[in-house]
Amino acid sequence: MSKTFDRFAGIAFLLIGLLFVIESRSISQSAYGSSVGPNIFPMVLGIILILLSIRLLFETMKYESVEGTKEPYQYVKFLIIFISAVVYAAVLEPVGYVISTFIFLVITFQTMERGKWLSTILIAGAFSFGIYYFFAEFLGGSLPGFPEF
Amino acid sequence: MSTLDFLFNGFAVAFQWQNILFAFVGVLIGTAVGVLPGIGPMSGVALLIPVTATLTSGMPTEAAAASSIILLAGVYYGAMYGGSTTSILLNTPGESSSVVTTLDGYQMAKQGRAGSALSIAAIGSFVAGIVSLIGLVLLAEPLSNVALKFGPAEYFSLMLLGLAAVSGLAGKSMTKALIMTIFGLLLATIGIDAVSGIARFTYDMPILYSGLEFLTIAVGLFALGEVFKTILERDKEDGAIAKIERILPTKQDLKDSTKPILRGSILGFFIGVLPGAGATLASFFSYIAEKKFSKHPEKFGTGAIEGVAGPESANNAASGGAMIPLLTLGIPGSGTTAILMGALIMYNIQPGPLLFDDHPEVAWGLIASMFIGNLMLLVLNMPLVKVFAKIIQTPKKYLLPIIVAISFFGVYAVQYTTFDLYLLLACGVIGYFLAKNDYPLAPLVLALVLGPMIENNMRRALTISNGEFSIFLTKPLSLVFILAAVAWLAIPLLLKLKGRNVIINDEE
Repeated sequence: MSKTFDRFAGIAFLLIGLLFVIESRSISQSAYGSSVGPNIFPMVLGIILILLSIRLLFETMKYESVEGTKEPYQYVKFLIIFISAVVYAAVLEPVGYVISTFIFLVITFQTMERGKWLSTILIAGAFSFGIYYFFAEFLGGSLPGFPEF
Repeated sequence: MSTLDFLFNGFAVAFQWQNILFAFVGVLIGTAVGVLPGIGPMSGVALLIPVTATLTSGMPTEAAAASSIILLAGVYYGAMYGGSTTSILLNTPGESSSVVTTLDGYQMAKQGRAGSALSIAAIGSFVAGIVSLIGLVLLAEPLSNVALKFGPAEYFSLMLLGLAAVSGLAGKSMTKALIMTIFGLLLATIGIDAVSGIARFTYDMPILYSGLEFLTIAVGLFALGEVFKTILERDKEDGAIAKIERILPTKQDLKDSTKPILRGSILGFFIGVLPGAGATLASFFSYIAEKKFSKHPEKFGTGAIEGVAGPESANNAASGGAMIPLLTLGIPGSGTTAILMGALIMYNIQPGPLLFDDHPEVAWGLIASMFIGNLMLLVLNMPLVKVFAKIIQTPKKYLLPIIVAISFFGVYAVQYTTFDLYLLLACGVIGYFLAKNDYPLAPLVLALVLGPMIENNMRRALTISNGEFSIFLTKPLSLVFILAAVAWLAIPLLLKLKGRNVIINDEE
C-alpha cells in the first residue's frame, strides 16, 4: 500500500466526481418519460464520489505508510511489451490480424526471454494463423485477416 | 407444469449433442483456467464470449443463448475444480477461492499424498455441485414467483443491497470499495440515456454513444492487469511441482472427508446465494468451521484432509448458489456472474423472474447441463489430473503474451473497434495500479453492469411516486432491502471500531 498512490487516487477521484457534477449540469433537464431527468443520477453519484474521495484523503493522513520490501521492477520489459501492444492495436485494422499478431507475439516472446527463435516463430505462427483460420474461416466470424490492397 | 417437468425438459435441452459438446468444452477450458495462474474465472468467461457468440451464430436466438450460457457457466464452475490443483501441487492458488486449500493441501502433497488431496478435492467439488444444484432446483421457482411481485422501487433497493453487499465485503478499506462502486456506476452513465434518449458525457464522439463496453473493461482490469503485474514484479520461476503417486484416496481419507464435504457443500451454497459473499468467503468459513468441528484441530495446517475437503466443496457449492440471484432475480452477486449476465443480455435474454416463464429452455437447460458438467468434471479430474498438472508448467514467457493476444482477439471480435483495444490497454494499467493498492475491482465491474438497471428502476419508481423519494421507504419490501443494505455497510464498520478482525472477500 502506498500513501502517495492513495493521495493521488483520492485527488483523481475527487476531480472525476467534480467533472461529472459540473458536466451533468449541462445535460438537458427534459424529463420526458420520467419525472426525474437524465442529469440527477450522475450528479448525485458525482457528489457521493467527491465525499468519498475526501474521506479517502483524510484516511491517508491517519495511517502509517507501509513500505513493502521492494522487488526489482522490470520496467524495461514492461514498457517494451506495453508499447508493442499499443502499436499492435493501432496496426490491427490496416495490417490485418495474422501479420500484426505474429509480429506482436515474436517481439513479446523475445522480450520475455531471448533466444529459442524456432519455438518462438512456431508458437507465434501457429497462434496467429490458427486463431484466424479457426475463427474467420471455420466459424465464419469477421476479422480483418490480411492487409487490403 | 411442475418443477420436475421443467427439469425434465431442461435435460432434453442439455442432452442435445451440441450442448453436451458445449458443456464439455466449457468445463475443460474452465479447468485449464483454474489451473493457470493469471487467468481467473472472470477473464476466462469474458474472453470466451466472442467465441461462443460466433459458434452459435447460426442457431435460433433462444437455442444459441442456451448453448452459450451452458459453455460459459461450465468455465465458471470448472475453474473451481481446477483452482485446487495448483494450490495442492505448487502452494500457489490458481484462484483466490483456493487460497485456504494451500494450507493443508500442500502439506499433504509434501507427505506424498498429493493424489489423495486432489481426488478428494474433485469428489468434494462434485458432491457440492450436486447439492447446490438441488438447492437451485428447489429455490428457483418460489424465488422467482416472489420476485415477480417486485415493482421498480423494490428492484432499485434490492440492487442497492447487492452493491452494498459487494462493497461491504470487498477489500481492506470500505472507502476504497465504495469509491470503486460509485466510479463504476458513473462510468455506466456514459452514453445515450435509455429513458430520455439524451447523450450524456459523450462529447459528440459517436464511439461513446453506446457507452463503454463492460466486456472490454472487465478483461482489461482483470486479465491484463494480472499480466502486467506478473511482467513487472515476478521473474523467478515457481518451485518444483509435487509428484502425484496414487490417485484414488484411501478408505480412511474418504471416511474422514465425508462430513466435511457435506457440511462444506451446504454452507457454501447458502453463502453463495448471498450477494457479495462468494466462493472465497465460503472456503474460508468452511475451513474455520471444520477446525471447530474437528476432534484434532491441531492437525490443521499439517496436512489434514478435512482442510482440503471442506473448503474445496464450499467454493464449488458457492459458485452454484451464486447462480440463484442471477437467474431468479436478475441480479448478479459477483464479478463472474455479472459477466454471465452480460452474455445473456447480448442474446436479448433478460435474467430475472420472467426468465423461467419466457425462456424455460435457457434457464432449465442451464441447470440440467450443470448436472452433466459436474459429472464430466469428476471424470476429467480424477484420471486426468496428471495431464492438468502439466498445464502448470506452461512457461510464463509464452503464456503472458498469449493472454494479451487472446484479450485483443476477444475484445476486437465483439466490438470491431480499435478504440476498445486502447480502452482495454488503459484498463489493464489502471487495473494493475488499483489492485496493487487494495482498490477492489469486482465492485467496479458489477456496478458497471447494474448501473443502467439501477438508474432506470429508480426513475421508474420516482415516476410512479411523482418524484417523491419516500417511495423507497414506504414500500415494505423495499424498506427491508434498504435497511439490510445499510446494515451490511454499517456492521463491518462497527466491528472494526471494536477492534475485531473482519473477514473480507477477495474475489474476482
